Amino acid sequence: MTTNNPQKTVFLGMSGGVDSSVSAVLLKNAGYKVVGVYMKNWSKNLPGMKCPWAEDLADAKRVATKLDIDFLVFDFEKAYKTKVVDYMLDEFKAGRTPNPDIMCNEEIKFKLFFEESLKRGADFIATGHYAKSEDRLLKLAKDENKDQTYFLYRISKESVEKTLFPLADLRKPEVKKLAKEFGLPNAFKKESMGICFVGDVNIKDFLREYIELKPGEIRDMETDKVLGFHDGAVFYTLGQRHGLNVGGGLPYYVVKKDLERNIVFVSKNLNEKDLWAKEIELENIFFRDATEQTEQNIRIRIRHRAPLIPAKFVFTDIKKLLGKVVLEEQIKKPAAGQSIVFYDDEICLGGGIVK
Amino acid sequence: MIYLDHAAATPVSKKVLEKMTPYFSELFFNPSSPYLPAKTVREDFEHAKSVIANSIGAKGNDLVITSGATEANALAFTAVSSESRSGGAKILVLETEHASVLESVKRYPFELIKVDRTGLIDLSNLKNKLSENTELISVSLANNELGTIQPLAEIATILKEEKLRRLKNHNTTPLFLHSDASQGLSLLDINVARLGVDLLTLNAAKISGPKGVGALYISHEVRLKPFVNGGGQERGLRAGTENVAGVVGFAAAVEALKNHSASKRKKYMRLVENLKHELEGASIEPVFLGNKKSRLANFLPVSFPGLDAERLIYKLEERGVLVSTGAACAASKGEASHVLKAIGLSSEEIAGSLRISLGVLNTEENVEEAGRIIREVVDSEFERIKNDH
Repeated sequence: MTTNNPQKTVFLGMSGGVDSSVSAVLLKNAGYKVVGVYMKNWSKNLPGMKCPWAEDLADAKRVATKLDIDFLVFDFEKAYKTKVVDYMLDEFKAGRTPNPDIMCNEEIKFKLFFEESLKRGADFIATGHYAKSEDRLLKLAKDENKDQTYFLYRISKESVEKTLFPLADLRKPEVKKLAKEFGLPNAFKKESMGICFVGDVNIKDFLREYIELKPGEIRDMETDKVLGFHDGAVFYTLGQRHGLNVGGGLPYYVVKKDLERNIVFVSKNLNEKDLWAKEIELENIFFRDATEQTEQNIRIRIRHRAPLIPAKFVFTDIKKLLGKVVLEEQIKKPAAGQSIVFYDDEICLGGGIVK
Repeated sequence: MIYLDHAAATPVSKKVLEKMTPYFSELFFNPSSPYLPAKTVREDFEHAKSVIANSIGAKGNDLVITSGATEANALAFTAVSSESRSGGAKILVLETEHASVLESVKRYPFELIKVDRTGLIDLSNLKNKLSENTELISVSLANNELGTIQPLAEIATILKEEKLRRLKNHNTTPLFLHSDASQGLSLLDINVARLGVDLLTLNAAKISGPKGVGALYISHEVRLKPFVNGGGQERGLRAGTENVAGVVGFAAAVEALKNHSASKRKKYMRLVENLKHELEGASIEPVFLGNKKSRLANFLPVSFPGLDAERLIYKLEERGVLVSTGAACAASKGEASHVLKAIGLSSEEIAGSLRISLGVLNTEENVEEAGRIIREVVDSEFERIKNDH
């Protein structure tokens, strides 16, 4: 973000949060013509859950006005419903645990927003993600703790080439400090912790609105004894520790779901073999740069903010995009539907979805 | 800071706060408790209710205390019978009513009454929609975005004629007039008999009383359905331990209004005129909204067509001037104001609309300064869009 002769236009996704607001200032100070864009992806209020979109939009617009940059609203509600929400619901119904943020970046932010911005005259797009775009590659952000490449591994190569990540070399505390220094009105805004689009809402509460409750048994993995009852196996995730409605003593963990019989199997035994794996099978593998290599030594991240760990990646069927990662030691198995993201040093190579 | 949004909220005055304070601490008793100190609190509560009621020409017992105007409006609609009848809607409401009316009424068969370009009720439209099944008409005393004051007495006369017709036809269906007077209370002399209303919503928050306290005046003919069940407080319609401090504060705020409305009206009319004059000098011609003759004296709804009112608000807030666009509740939902749509404004006019409402925090000097700042911001925003094209 240092060089910038004849003024280039950047369309910046603004959520109303601190990260994208600070990004706006940094881009403006670097000499870009910045156009702030609020992506309206979801505005539906569900019973007892107020969608925060209008307040977020107002926060974003307030910052844009203060900085005297243009501000637009792109309406992606329809696409978001079909590409992100429906995908998410289908995955849950199939007993898997999807990651809607990854889908949102792939389908909405770095596809629709990217295309629409270019159409309207943008030279670049920008977002407040902690990630780096360098030498046409997607790379880790300087702030390893905040790095968000886990959510970005599936975005297109062409979009990365034309994306600026103004926070690439900043740490979160520095960003917060800048927000205060710049006098940004949302410097103290709380980060949203729920599902991105419905605000501070627990995912299970959201799913209840769309997926029918279906009571079933909770059984002990070892003894097959019925320990209690659940309100729908699809609401449970492998390794999950809370909300099993079986009280007393050591915590139970979900170790298996039998969707056909609608049974959730739990265990107190953290060493239960179903909870652990050394090999993880993947599907829908996506390499940011096409590769013919059937085996390579990489580092992987199994969830956002998880440490990078060494692993061997093996393509088992390159045509069908099937493969696996083989680890040096056993790890707690990620749930089906979650993503595993590949890295070579600081370069994000791509990733796959746990089968 | 110069506050120009008294239609949204008002500061609780020192006097009001002082009167309320003891009821949070030493006079904390439950008014329903059997011992003497509690009885004193009961008396204070009932006295406060009488003060509020007397100010509108009613008795303490005619009021049901609520958590605010929204709840009072919802309670008013329980006057409607539950049996279903074919033909005509049971409730008619003005299309420019506050969301608390428009959302509550959705539970019942209802129709909307039209307004003219100034926000005044279209009386012939009311007559056309009035059927022998109509049980309740709800028209606010003054609109919360435009300040347009409705001719309630004329509406009451139309309803009286309809009632007479029904008696002749041996039709015993009741017909009541409800009005939300949240916005009018500080400047208008309100008397339920003169207005001809059967139900009237009051709100402490708009008259320098506390938030979270309102009341519904209920005439003797109206039978409402219990809204919150419990210990039988508030005539059994709205149970729950009384908000003594809130009601005492409400009464104190009402007392402070007494006898001042005429001089206040004059003061605000003058300030609004000055402000108008200043804004007319802006580089973009302002469109003043609402009704010139029948408008709350402290209201100045204005549009700068072509400008973006939200940007104006943020620019003004940076310079210490607080104004609003449409009703705060509608704006936070991200929707264009239904009121401005109803009076037939173009989308450009709606997008450029500000609601300025004066009140206790305003003086000749700060309104003058605010006018200058608004004009400067409008001018610079106009420059900005001019350069874009």
